[in-house]
Parts: sequence; structure tokens; C-alpha cells
Amino acid sequence: MGLIIIAVFYGSILFCVVASLAKLLKFAKAPLHLRWELYRGSSVYELTDWWTRPHVTSLAKMKSAALDILFLRDFYHRNRGFWYFLYLFHVGLYLLILWHLWLFICAMTIHVDAAPVWGLLWGHVATVLALIGGVGIFIKRMTDEELRAYYTPIHYVKWLFVILTLVEAFYAVQIYFDASMPAVMKYVRQQVAFEDLEMKFHPHMATAAHVLFASAWLIYLPFSHILRLFFRYYHQVRWDDVPNVRGSAVERKVEKLLSQRVGWSAPHIPHGRKWADFSSEQEQGAEE
Amino acid sequence: MKKEKIRVGDISKNRDEQLLTITGEDMMSLPSPLDKGGFQQLIRPLTEEQRNDYECSLDGVSAIAIPKPKSKEEEDRLVERFLGGLRKLLSQNDNWTFWQQLLLSLESCVRCQTCGEACSIYISSGKQEIYRPTYRAEVLRRIIRKYIKKGGKFFAKVAGDDIDLNWETIARLAELAYRCTICRRCAQWCPLGSDNGLITHELRKLFSQEMGIAPREIHELGTVQQLNVGSSTGITPRALENIISFMEEDIEEKTGKKIMIPFDREGADILLLHNAGEFISWPENIEAFAILFDAANISWTLSSELVGYDAVNYGVWYDDVQLARIAIRHAEVARELKVKRISVGECGHAHKALVVVADRVLSGDLNIPRESVLPLLEDLVCNEKIKLDPKRNDFPVTLHDPCNMVRLMGIVEPQRRIVRKLCPQFREMEPHGVDNYCCGGGSGFAIMSSMNFQDWRESISGRMKLKQILEAFQDVIDPSIHKYVCAPCSNCKGQIRDLLNSHEAWDKYGILYGGLVELIVNAMVDLEKPFIEWEWR
Repeated sequence: MGLIIIAVFYGSILFCVVASLAKLLKFAKAPLHLRWELYRGSSVYELTDWWTRPHVTSLAKMKSAALDILFLRDFYHRNRGFWYFLYLFHVGLYLLILWHLWLFICAMTIHVDAAPVWGLLWGHVATVLALIGGVGIFIKRMTDEELRAYYTPIHYVKWLFVILTLVEAFYAVQIYFDASMPAVMKYVRQQVAFEDLEMKFHPHMATAAHVLFASAWLIYLPFSHILRLFFRYYHQVRWDDVPNVRGSAVERKVEKLLSQRVGWSAPHIPHGRKWADFSSEQEQGAEE
Repeated sequence: MKKEKIRVGDISKNRDEQLLTITGEDMMSLPSPLDKGGFQQLIRPLTEEQRNDYECSLDGVSAIAIPKPKSKEEEDRLVERFLGGLRKLLSQNDNWTFWQQLLLSLESCVRCQTCGEACSIYISSGKQEIYRPTYRAEVLRRIIRKYIKKGGKFFAKVAGDDIDLNWETIARLAELAYRCTICRRCAQWCPLGSDNGLITHELRKLFSQEMGIAPREIHELGTVQQLNVGSSTGITPRALENIISFMEEDIEEKTGKKIMIPFDREGADILLLHNAGEFISWPENIEAFAILFDAANISWTLSSELVGYDAVNYGVWYDDVQLARIAIRHAEVARELKVKRISVGECGHAHKALVVVADRVLSGDLNIPRESVLPLLEDLVCNEKIKLDPKRNDFPVTLHDPCNMVRLMGIVEPQRRIVRKLCPQFREMEPHGVDNYCCGGGSGFAIMSSMNFQDWRESISGRMKLKQILEAFQDVIDPSIHKYVCAPCSNCKGQIRDLLNSHEAWDKYGILYGGLVELIVNAMVDLEKPFIEWEWR
């Protein structure tokens, strides 16, 4: 049993890393697309000779993305009723991610007996916030007619799983580890550093369940919305895109793409023609 | 009686029944004086003959006149063709133009339905399910999952999002792709960045680029005619000469000025591209540009070359190949004339198509600077390069924001600074700027009047704009007070004209519409008479 849990856990980490990288690579290697961006306000196109003016910097884009992700601004402004629970859930989730990072770092760098008591409070507050948010979202998704639309049964199962994971994590820390931060930290240290193989191969149900829940979420992560959110901001898709300036890298990519053949088959699209062949000279030549 | 809710899977069921029937009672109510319920623009039912010949089982409206297949075999062939097109849509090679945005939009929706509240068509129709921005996207997602992905048929049952793909699904989906104006307000509102407008666009592409299905007004009479004859209006270069002569005479008659509209002037600073619809329906817009540029001593020219005198590029709404062809022609014309830049006149979709979207189909010597004319107009007005008197525009004015210029390009302020400076009674519509509502004629609707589609766009897609216009003029609704809806876009003007006309808004409420440059020229102090003529057009 212990061996299976170990295999699932480390396998899920490997899967998460490989699948996420594959997904990221797939999008990063996507061909340059036509521009289809949106604007949140005034742009460089309001200026005469806009092509000589500086464009939006990556820093400005990143700042905007950070504010969106931290505060879920669009939900706040456009869908306030949903935002309350969603925000509680996300704040809880962000705090839990940070808590785990802190836990791993502290477990490896300080003596376990020096584990601060506030660490426990941090973990519990984060879990409770995420739990309130998760239960709230689940109930709203069940009862609100708008939020129910097109939300398929599999998604409700996902939220139940979220709630179960959080409840189990709370149980493990509060009951199994007896609300002791040094005990939690000792366990993490032993696991990370492979100090207690006996426990690794014969885990208690509370920690085993937590590891299995974590594994399930690691497997799910590459298919979640998190990676897509990344591309929405950093791959020039949603907000003002990069103009094609003469002699630029963008122009070189454009030229390469225009040399591809058009693969569509409607009657007005001549078979085998390249995109670059749509200049009037070449079209007339082809007709003759 | 409450209507039964339409579900996603219903799109493939009951082929002989209309999925939705809308009545006046369903629709969003309008403000005074149209709040009495006395006038409800109804959607006339199709004739028996039309119903027999064309697919109309979505909502009883036909936008694209799809002929009904004659046999089961023909239906099956069309279903196969649709699936083939869908595979191409999802292929990086075939659909490099929009593959990335499409994939992100398909995969990032969390079904929060935030977009529903952003959609003027969904709200105006009284929240009819099939017009919900996510409805057609959800249909497409489920088809992809079930028929394109491996193990799809099994997983569709497990996940509880099963859907059947048959000819009825495809015919209804094709019509549904023309119940969205691609204004992309929903995309702006989406917290995850999923773009339902783009999904509509990609569906239209699939139908056009693979199956040859597109509205006649946009394809055959639109892009094809533009490429072959010179303009989507049918104006040939020869006819253009006559129109321009008439305009020069008209300018002289109105202003006493003898102005020659420059044509094919090699080496000019600016090649000005107008939507050719202006030549026919609103020549005063082109005349106003000529008067203003002449007064400001600007080096500019129009072109008489094929395609060079029509800024429109309907390809941006439905077909990447046609988009590329027209954009390349525009750039070629500018290259031949050796101009320094192309300026796009008052036409929203032409702005977005040529300045932004086509940016990635032009390279080398075709990559000529392209810009909106609005910053130049702002420079002339706000830096007082022309003598203007705002008292000449002392009538209520409101401003319509064309989606393509504002939300889709970020040109928000130049037009506002101009009307604020020149129109003492300017009032904003609410909401405005990047949160504006579409006129209801976007993505080709303004020029589409097949069968009963015009009824639909006047009743539903344009309803929100009509509401906004009436609200902006509530305090001056008396017909003796002349009011002006400024719409710096040719297609928007067409739609607003039809909206106002169907409610006799000029006769009953004194509401007229027009472009931006007309307001500028109307304020020019060296013109003896006002330029704007207060008569219906």
C-alpha cells in the first residue's frame, strides 16, 4: 500500500512537471497569429505617427496581470455576487500555497522545535477561508440559475473533491498531528529528506489520504485554467499586441507564415495557393 | 406562460420545430417615448415558400439563406464537410491565423456566465438562451469533445455534456454564428479572457472557408465584388469619376468654394481610404473631409484604383483569405502611389482590419504605416489649426462609440475631445468608451437585409443602441429641437439610420445622425452657411 502511495505521489509530481511543460511548450511554439486584441482604455493608436511612439511595456502588462490575479478584479467589477466566495477561496488557496512553500523551506532550514506557533494559525486560517469559499461556490453553483448553466455534473464532483481535500487537510493537522507545528514540520522534514522510510512505506491513513489528494490535484493541474491564464497575459493574446514593424522579428515570422499553403477548400480559395500569393500580380498571373 | 428553457443539446433535436419564437413581450423594454408598448418592431415570419426552401429552424429568421439539403446523403456529406473544416480550424497549419486565440477561448471558459450581462443581444431579447454568448461556444466545445477528441463519445456520456451532430445542428449553428455582432463586449468582460466573439468569428470562417456558406451581402456582393469590380457597393472606377465631379459641384454649391478632390496624387503624405458606402449614402462625409483638408492645407489623395477607393474589408468578419486579399490590395495601392501613410476614414471595421488585424499579412514594402484619421482630426481641432466656432454646433449631440475603433483599438479620446470642444450640448451615452454597446449592425449586420433579418436586427441587435440614444436625449425629446447622433463609422451610421427610420425618430423626435467630420466642418467660421443640413437621409 505504502509503495503504491509513493509511486502515485512521485509519479504525479513527474506527470505534473512534464505535462505542464508540454502544455506550455505547445502554446509557446504556437504560430504567430493575426492580431485580435482588446483595449481597456486609450492606446497608442490615439496618437499621430503612432508607429514612432513607445508601445505598452511588459512591466505595465505584468502589473495589470498581477492585480487581476491577486484581486480577481474582473469578477469584482462584473460579477460581484460570485466574487465574494470566489475571492475567499482564492485568498485561502494563495495562502495555502505560500504556507506549503514556507513549510518546506522551514522544515529543511530550521530546527523543528523552533517551528513558530503562528504557522499553525496561518495554515488553519488559509484552510478555513478556502473551505468557506469552496462550500459557498458549490452552493451557488447548485442554486444560482446563471451559474448552473452549462456547468456539467463532473464540475460539481470537482468542487466536492476540493472540499474533501481541505477537510482532510484540516483533520490531519488538527487531529493527527494534534495541532502541533513541530510535529507537522518534523513529518515534512522526514518526508522531504527521506529520513523515515518506515513512515514512508507504512503511512498513517491521515497523511496517506493527504498525499493522495495532493497527487490527484497535481495530475489535474496541467489541465486546469491556471496555465491558460498565463498565456492570456504573457503571449500577446488578449491585450494590446506587438505591432509588425519593418525589419523586426515579427516581420520575419510573418514572412515565413505567408509562405505556407492555404489548406481550406471552399470554391473561392484556389487549391495549393500560398498566403503570399494573394497579391494582385500573382492572382492575375494565376488566372491567366 | 413561462417558456421552457432551451438546453445545449436541444440544438440537434426536433428538426421540424423552431427552437425559439420571440415575441414583442419577450424583448427588453424601451424608455420614453417608446415605453408605452404601442410600437413593438416585430419579426415578420418567413413565407411558406421561404420556410420550405431555407433553413430557419433556429429562431424563424434567415440571415444567410442556407438551402435545405435535398436528401439524407447530401446532409451526411455536409456533416462530413463540417467535421473536416472543424479539424482544420483546430490545426496549427491550416488555422495559424487564429489558432492560439481559439484554443485559449475554447479551453478557458469556467461557465461563470459573466459575459451574458455584457451582451446587448442577449439582454435585448429578454435573455433568450440561444443568444447567450456562451451558448454557441458550448455547442462547439461539446462537438469538438465528442467528435474530434479521442474517446470523445465515451467521455461525453460520462461528463454529462452529450450532443448529437447532425445537419440540423450545423444549420442552426451556422445561423447562430450570425446572431452575434462580434462586438466582443463579452470578451472584454470575461474574467478568464475567453472570447466568444472570436468563437463566432471562427465558426463563420469554417462555414465560409470550407463549406462556402456565407451571407450573400458579405461574400458575393461584398468581398468578391470588391475584388472584381473595385468596391462592395458596385461602384466602378468610371462611376467614381462621375460621383466625385458631382461632389465637387455640391461643395461649391454649399460653400462657394471651388475645391478639387485629389485623386491618384503620387507622393502625397496621406492616402485617405473611405468606406465606399459614403460615396452613395453619405457623400457629405467625403465632402467634409475635402473641405477640411483643403482648409488645413494637408497633402492627401484618394485612389481610383480597384479596391483603392473602398476601405471596407468584410473579410475581417468571416474569412481570413478574403481579409488577406483585400488588405494586400489596399497596401499595394498605397505602394504604387508612394504615399507616406494610409489614413482610414470614418469606418470602424476598416480601422481594425487594416491597421491592426492585417498587420500580420503585410510585410516588406507592403508594410506601410497605417493609422486612424481621428488623431489627425483631433490635431486640427484641438490645436486650433482651423478657425472653428462651437456656437455653430449649439444643438444636443451624443456620440456613438464604434466597437472596432474603441474597444478593439483603444481610440477612445480623440473623438471626445473634438465633440467636447465643438458641441456645447454634448452628452455621453451610458455606458460609453470601451464599455460601449454595439450599434447592432456590427460584423456585417448593417448591410444584411435578407428575408426577415432586417426585422431581427432592428428589433433585437439594435435595441440597446436605440435605448441609449433615447436616454441620451430624454431632456430634449421635443421634435422641434434638432438632435444629432454622431457616429464616426459608416456601418454604424447605416444601422442607426435603419433604427431611427423604423421608429420615425426624425419626424417624431427630431433625431438625426451623421459623422464626426461633418460637425467639424459645420463649425468652420469661414463657411457662410451651416454645413449640416437638417433633413432625413
